[in-house]
Amino acid sequence: MVVFALRRLLSSIPTLLIVTVIVFALVKLLPGDPARLILGQEATPQALAELRRSLGLDRSLLQQYLSWLAGAVRLDFGTSLTDNSSVSKLIAQKLPVTLELSLFAMLISLLISLPAGILSAVRRNTWVDRVLTLLALSGISLPNFFLGILLIYLFSIRLAWIPASGYTSLLENPGRNLLLLLLPAVTLGIGSAAVLTRYLRSSLSETLNQDYVRTAHAKGLMARQVISKHALKNALIPFLTAFGLQLGGLLGGAVITEQIFSIPGFGRLLVDAVFTRDLPVIQGVVLVSAVAVFLVSFLVDLSYAAVDPRIRYH
Amino acid sequence: MRKLPLTRSLILLGLSLSCAASAQTLTVGLDADPPRLDPALSTALVDRQVMNQIFDKLVDLDADLKVIPALAASWKVTNGGLTYTFKLRSGVKFSDGTPLDAAAVKYGLDRNRTLEGSARKNEMTSIKEVKVVDAQTVQLTLSQPYGPLLAVLTDRAGMIVSPTAAKKAGADFQNNPVGSGPFTFVSRVRQDNITLNANKTYWGGAPKIDKLVYRPFPDGDVRYANLLSGAVQAITPIDPKDISKLEQNAKFNVLNYPGIGFQGVWFNVTRAPFNNKNLRQAVAATIDREAIAKSIFYGTVTPAAGPFPPGTAAASSAIKVQKPDIAAAKKKLGGKPLSFTLLTTPGSVTTQLAQVYQAMFAQAGITAKIEQVEFGTLLDRADKQDYDALMLGWSGRPDPDGNIYDFFVTNGTNNQAGYSNKTVDSLLAKARAQNAMSARVATYNIALSTIISDTPYTWVYFQRNLVASVKGMTGLKPIPDGILRFKDVDLK
Repeated sequence: MVVFALRRLLSSIPTLLIVTVIVFALVKLLPGDPARLILGQEATPQALAELRRSLGLDRSLLQQYLSWLAGAVRLDFGTSLTDNSSVSKLIAQKLPVTLELSLFAMLISLLISLPAGILSAVRRNTWVDRVLTLLALSGISLPNFFLGILLIYLFSIRLAWIPASGYTSLLENPGRNLLLLLLPAVTLGIGSAAVLTRYLRSSLSETLNQDYVRTAHAKGLMARQVISKHALKNALIPFLTAFGLQLGGLLGGAVITEQIFSIPGFGRLLVDAVFTRDLPVIQGVVLVSAVAVFLVSFLVDLSYAAVDPRIRYH
Repeated sequence: MRKLPLTRSLILLGLSLSCAASAQTLTVGLDADPPRLDPALSTALVDRQVMNQIFDKLVDLDADLKVIPALAASWKVTNGGLTYTFKLRSGVKFSDGTPLDAAAVKYGLDRNRTLEGSARKNEMTSIKEVKVVDAQTVQLTLSQPYGPLLAVLTDRAGMIVSPTAAKKAGADFQNNPVGSGPFTFVSRVRQDNITLNANKTYWGGAPKIDKLVYRPFPDGDVRYANLLSGAVQAITPIDPKDISKLEQNAKFNVLNYPGIGFQGVWFNVTRAPFNNKNLRQAVAATIDREAIAKSIFYGTVTPAAGPFPPGTAAASSAIKVQKPDIAAAKKKLGGKPLSFTLLTTPGSVTTQLAQVYQAMFAQAGITAKIEQVEFGTLLDRADKQDYDALMLGWSGRPDPDGNIYDFFVTNGTNNQAGYSNKTVDSLLAKARAQNAMSARVATYNIALSTIISDTPYTWVYFQRNLVASVKGMTGLKPIPDGILRFKDVDLK
């Protein structure tokens, strides 16, 4: 298992390198010159040339990439082209926000999808299943920006229970932190719960048709035991995979939701950086997101063994 | 501040203390996160909202766009407009305790006009030397007379930074700005907030509120929702569609006052089809400016006849808003088909506007294809003159020069059309060198009649400043430059 873990970790390095090359190339392919965006509409050609030189944009692409890479291995992602602040510091500021929001959203998603998925599978093709299916499909098709605004309207304007936006760190004021993150987490959690419910329903339905489940029933086990001890464990693997993908997606920054609730997370940092062609910030954020996604899928792989003892790593 | 969370259930208990303690905090919702809080480096309009509270300027503007004293208590223009002598207020200190004297003003002005990457160089290029005469007197010598100078100094170019703080922070000054303004910088979290405290020892008297917080909400609906929910006490701008709802809401005040900028369409005169003046005029003649103001902007903009909005010095009643005239447009086309690409940025208003233009052009048989690219690309394509027509406006400057010179002078920094006309060049240069505003205005309007007839640009509407605030907020003066000055603002 340890060997497997180490091998997986090492094999991720080339993948991450390729990610950085692709991102670097993509940003460079984008039209729009960072110096022009910084200096704006009224910039003179001399000022533009001067700024390009001081930002190092006049060097060759390879030089720019290599000097970035040399810094990145030391966790120094350079400084933002916009305001000269350290990219590592910006990431350190935003990552905990997005991390907390993602975990909170996935917790809500689990609280909804586990019971809903099991109920749907056990009572499949009854009215309970149909209602849950309808809700799940609505959840999948409801866009985040609409659900977010709806929640703000209901809970912040009509009922005035929860502030419409803002962020306080968990260490500063845990109560307020959770309160402020509740609506965005619900917004994200509902969408992901809808997807996970469908996954769990289909994999559990399939498992419930297996011979060993019939045998368990025949042995005289209670339905509850059959489902939790025998069927659910086997049905969880596809569910875990989907869970990992959802969590990974959120860690890359929930751009729209962060925008609606004014959460200063990864997504907004990235969007602002893309609009100003702030390459060092884009590179740093994408690399860290890629690492996060990799770590999540790595942990999901390891968790398969815990769920299904037949799985062994070599 | 807001009462709502105070009365609510247990989970909100923790909140009540922090709210009660910040009773005099005013939170303002802006449409973007101000990128750079350094008077030399700033290029975004929204930077000025925050910097105006942190920094004092040599001179300021009043509601009629007249230049009024600020750090300079008085000034004299001599030597045929080549020498500007400013007498400074005495006893002014930066918020770091260092004195704001003539040496500091010299440092600030020199920094703005020479710092590497400074965006002020263009507007300060006429300044040859800044001289300290005595501790309270600064003298600016110009290389040529430059009528707009005072107006330029009411904006970022005239903001004076603390030399001690600027030297110490270097390139990081924008993240730790220190000035002498009515508020002092406390902290910023990118994409979340910028927090300022009242400067209790401000030379013009301490502000009435204790704390001023700016928060960015790029989406208009979100900005509006935050105002309704009490998370912020004021927002600017307001989406035009929300104006009437806010005006009918007894809890809020709406300020709707003229701005100094303009919006319209550029024609690329360096290549076909718009190197043909008749075709430019034909397109301009199809636009129904009144209808656009009504249908897209709910009357929150004013149809435009030229670059000078009503109420500004150079606005002339002799130049009338062009009425749509499809017959005239068809005649200009001479029976030949015209099709071109209209370049614009994405966004609900620009998209709608582009589609309305498209429909208006079509009435004269003109086919326009809409191409949407984001702002950086638009500027890039404009620089390279790689477009047929493009939608781009200007936030405006208090002096008429700032709304015309760089747009139409040959090779001007904002001359996206590639337009060049010797008569216009010499008139615009002549106006700059004139000192009496009345003489300058006359010259601008002569130049403008040629520009309108050449039509490298067609003006469509003037933006207005739209601010919404809670009823309890008082003391905000409507200054046309759109910058909200919070020194005298109170919150009850």
